[in-house]
Amino acid sequence: MSERKLHIAILEPSEIIYEGIVNILLSSTHNIHIFRIDSIHEISNSNEQEPTDIVICNPLVISSNFSEFTEIKEKFGALIWIAISYSFSEQKLLQAFNDIIEITDKPETIIQKIENFNTNMLLHSKQKQQDVLSEREIQVLEQLVKGLSNKEIADVLHISTHTVISHRKNITQKTGIKSQSGLTIYAISNKIIQL
Amino acid sequence: MKFSEVIFENPSILILMEHFEIPCLVHEKTIEEICKEHNVPINVVLLFINLYNGFNPTQIPNFSKKEIEWIIQFLQNSHLYYTDYKYPEIQSYIKELTVLNTAPEVKLVETFFNEYFEEVIEHLEYENQKAYPFFKKLLQENSPKEPKNFSSEEYHSHHTDIEYKLVELKNLLLNHISLGNDGIIRRKLLMSLFELEYDLKIHSLIEEMILVPIMRKYE
Repeated sequence: MSERKLHIAILEPSEIIYEGIVNILLSSTHNIHIFRIDSIHEISNSNEQEPTDIVICNPLVISSNFSEFTEIKEKFGALIWIAISYSFSEQKLLQAFNDIIEITDKPETIIQKIENFNTNMLLHSKQKQQDVLSEREIQVLEQLVKGLSNKEIADVLHISTHTVISHRKNITQKTGIKSQSGLTIYAISNKIIQL
Repeated sequence: MKFSEVIFENPSILILMEHFEIPCLVHEKTIEEICKEHNVPINVVLLFINLYNGFNPTQIPNFSKKEIEWIIQFLQNSHLYYTDYKYPEIQSYIKELTVLNTAPEVKLVETFFNEYFEEVIEHLEYENQKAYPFFKKLLQENSPKEPKNFSSEEYHSHHTDIEYKLVELKNLLLNHISLGNDGIIRRKLLMSLFELEYDLKIHSLIEEMILVPIMRKYE
């Protein structure tokens, strides 16, 4: 089973704790990319290019700007937040996290906690990555490779031109191909049409 | 820094050298020595080496006329590389592919590519016949006698189209076209496509981010 890369951000001021966590994470067999952040604002920047999957965070860093934390949590709903707990934190604060890593946790426990979230993410992303076209999209594709215009396709399928354009966008997004000749090759290769 | 070190770090620099008409034998010489020996402006060479290594310039230096002439020459040499060498190489791989793989879609790939190659030649001819001579004239006279007959938006959209078709072709070869008895040729074809795409991307970057802004100053 091919594994996608897991992007983990760590927000922890203590060098000792940071190094400890990084070493434990890297000792696991998973494909992990770790980067350090100094504030939760950096989450917004990194998510545009390569989405972060998990943030491991010292809750005390958040406590002074809790409202901003909740804002960012809402904005990036798929993001998993794990607290590193080694000093007293309010229950209300800890409850805002998906899970907690205790300072006394064994390395295996820590890795297991990460793994639990990873499986969920893998299932979710597998569905998104399918480039299987829907039945409607296949119908639009069949007409497209015959050389019909958007308007003509709309007439044949009894849908609006706007809908045709929307289907075409989805087709391009799923297949990575937008030219008519390219889509024809795609259609034949996948036995959607025959010469 | 020795020129050979630059090449070891990124072998694509060999293509950059060809575009600058610098032969591959560099002895133990530094970049400065090689540039002096072959009469190429070191500032342009350094800027382009950085581009090939993934570093975009934060600002465009004020190049002299001679340096700008060399930028245009570099681009023209790249065109020859594409039309006389790289695209024909890909074309011949595709021809071999049609012999080894009898799936119906493969013949279409040949048509797809030939039409695409014609589009590319048209675009490159446009640059050779219209854009570059216009720029050269600007350099000499400082005020063009004819109205400019190109637009940077058109430029950009041509580049995007050309690069996109390459992406489609790579996509089709990697993800969709059925395997015949063509594994090795497919790999050679894909590698060639990746190499071409890499050089084309930098070529477009130079035209859009460096040449066009520079020529704007002359208008």
